[in-house]
Amino acid sequence: MSAVDRTRDIGEYVPAQDDDMIVCRCEEITKGEIRRAVHDGMYNVHEVRRLLRCGMGLCQGQTCARLVKSIVARELGVRSLEDATARAPMRPIEMSVFANDGGGE
Amino acid sequence: MKRYDLIVIGAGPAGLSAATEAASHGLRVAVFDENARPGGQLFKQIHKFFGSKEHKAKIRGYDIGRELLKEAESLGVEVFLNAPVIGLYAEKEVVARHADGVRHYKGDTVIVATGASENMLTFEGWTLPGVMGAGAAQTMMNINRVTPGERVLMLGSGNVGLVVGYQLIQAGCELVAIIDAAPRVGGYGVHAAKVARTGVPFYLSHTVVRAEGTDRVTGVTIGEVDASWQIIAGSEKHFDVDTICIAVGLSPSTQLLKMAGADMAEPAAGAGFLPVCSATGETSISGLYASGDVSGIEEASSAMIEGRISGVAAAGKLGFADAETVETRLNALETALSALHEGLFAPRNRGKSVPLTDEGIDNSQHLLKNGYLADDEVAKYPGVKRVSGVHPIIECTQNIPCNPCQDACPKQCIKVGANIVALPVFDETSACIGCGQCVAACSGQSIFLVNDDIGDNLASVTIPYEFLPLPEKGDVGTALDRSGTPICAATVTDVRAAKAFDHTSLLTFSVPRDEYMRARFWKKGAAV
Amino acid sequence: MRIANHPILGEPEVREKVTFTHDGAEIEGYAGEPIAAALRAAGIVIHRYTKKYHAPRGIFCAIGRCTDCVMVVNGKPNVRTCVTPLESGMTVDTQYGAGGERA
Repeated sequence: MSAVDRTRDIGEYVPAQDDDMIVCRCEEITKGEIRRAVHDGMYNVHEVRRLLRCGMGLCQGQTCARLVKSIVARELGVRSLEDATARAPMRPIEMSVFANDGGGE
Repeated sequence: MKRYDLIVIGAGPAGLSAATEAASHGLRVAVFDENARPGGQLFKQIHKFFGSKEHKAKIRGYDIGRELLKEAESLGVEVFLNAPVIGLYAEKEVVARHADGVRHYKGDTVIVATGASENMLTFEGWTLPGVMGAGAAQTMMNINRVTPGERVLMLGSGNVGLVVGYQLIQAGCELVAIIDAAPRVGGYGVHAAKVARTGVPFYLSHTVVRAEGTDRVTGVTIGEVDASWQIIAGSEKHFDVDTICIAVGLSPSTQLLKMAGADMAEPAAGAGFLPVCSATGETSISGLYASGDVSGIEEASSAMIEGRISGVAAAGKLGFADAETVETRLNALETALSALHEGLFAPRNRGKSVPLTDEGIDNSQHLLKNGYLADDEVAKYPGVKRVSGVHPIIECTQNIPCNPCQDACPKQCIKVGANIVALPVFDETSACIGCGQCVAACSGQSIFLVNDDIGDNLASVTIPYEFLPLPEKGDVGTALDRSGTPICAATVTDVRAAKAFDHTSLLTFSVPRDEYMRARFWKKGAAV
Repeated sequence: MRIANHPILGEPEVREKVTFTHDGAEIEGYAGEPIAAALRAAGIVIHRYTKKYHAPRGIFCAIGRCTDCVMVVNGKPNVRTCVTPLESGMTVDTQYGAGGERA
């Protein structure tokens, strides 16, 4: 993960008309919550995810990852942002199945 | 741990092609896929593909899928279904789910062909039941044989939006409009034209303001956007719909590659991260390849070639094919792939406005703004020549990689040439016999047969027709122009269906002589 | 609406009709088709209500990715109905929140 430039001044959070729009459909996180999180100092996708759980619900960000990233990037005034970390398991899986590890059998 | 020469992740067009190519060189190959059925999204592609013979042009997607599967099976490729890969590690260790547990595998080479997922767009009410991805609608109607709704609005005029929009009409839904925030139609002009002439309006520079309804979609409001994508006050329009389809592009599903530690980079800042690949799709990790949409969004036709390229590269890497064999094969595949990378929709033209065709003719701005050609510009293109007697009118006006019309004509009336993005030329000195092979073969449904004089001051127009119920000879109806506007009475004089036409029927109707250059669709009954 | 005859795909293959229950009401569908398809054909579009805002959700991706269409199937919550084959006698119930809650 690249270092975060925390010296950047992105100004105060200004409420917007579409702040109550759901962005993460699984965890029901709104655009306003994500924007506020950025102004609270979450300067990348990873930190926003950990704070709000957007992209950490049942679908694991299949739908919202791109949307969240674009909101965070716009709020920070940058064009490009690193994606969230990719981790196993890539698909929703019950703990009992995940734990039933047959190894290489 | 079970070992394979090659493990392919994803049994779509790229994955199956990679697997068959590698297996044909003697590799022991396993393919893992999370779905119950192989083929990825190929089996819901019910339109005829573009390209040339080597790209399986004019064959419908599902038939290409069947062919690929048969080939994979005959070569002994093991396909594991309902087996999502949940982890991929740098040593090319693959962890997949099987039934109630997980298993580990080692691939001496691994090809990731996980495809892409649909992009989404937020608007008020976008979480309501009835708002869905265009791909979802396509799965519902073409795989599950259930319509997603009855009245549908399509958001997005790229090829996915246009093709799925057309298929919604084929499935019996009413497509109320295709809209796009961009000022120009994003997909092939021929795909737009075949939707527009049925009477579906295009609203460019428009987006969804809100989906209406409390428990499910009951309507939609759209509005025109200005240069900064803001809705222009007073431009709102309402439609009663129960379904809103979103087709605003695809994003590569790169998570497994990222997880394995492959280098990722953005082609341009903000464009999204893609795996850094060599010409054969090999990532920064030796023996780990990325093929198809996961390495950058293109059409299924290119994905199949990319898969084969990675497959033969893996064979070479492991010593199953000698350097010369690999090089010869790669050259052939790369030539086939580069043919698909030319023309108006070439990667280098993305997002650009291209004023002229390769032939130096104006690219129709009317087509880009409305979804259909203006009546007075049709004659500019080399496939349109007004001669007497029966002959084709080829309304193919953009440089797209496609040439089945050339092979279809038994009289060599149509020439595309070696460069398959060239516009088809109708040779008026050849003797058209009116067989209609070109009409059925054109994947873009942009070829019409006309006869300017069939007596009684009437002309005939033959159109490709892919809807039900199929009209019958003698049916009285109305001819529609390219915009789908009723223009005159038209009686069906012939309906031809043949196995060689592959479900495209040829509908011939008669119109007054002065309307045959405008009449491009037919509807039963008198004009309202 | 079921697509009886299709200009390209023709007639659907002959499948076994089965009965299942949706929130206690008996519904017919075809064995092996996705549960979501049987529900859509029966006019049911609401699969669940969300935990936080109690908002209705239905089919969104139809290929098992987005998890919006999850329901309680045979008592088990969070089952992706768009990729789970229908079986005779299944109980399919609207999911409220994470699955444990009631309306």
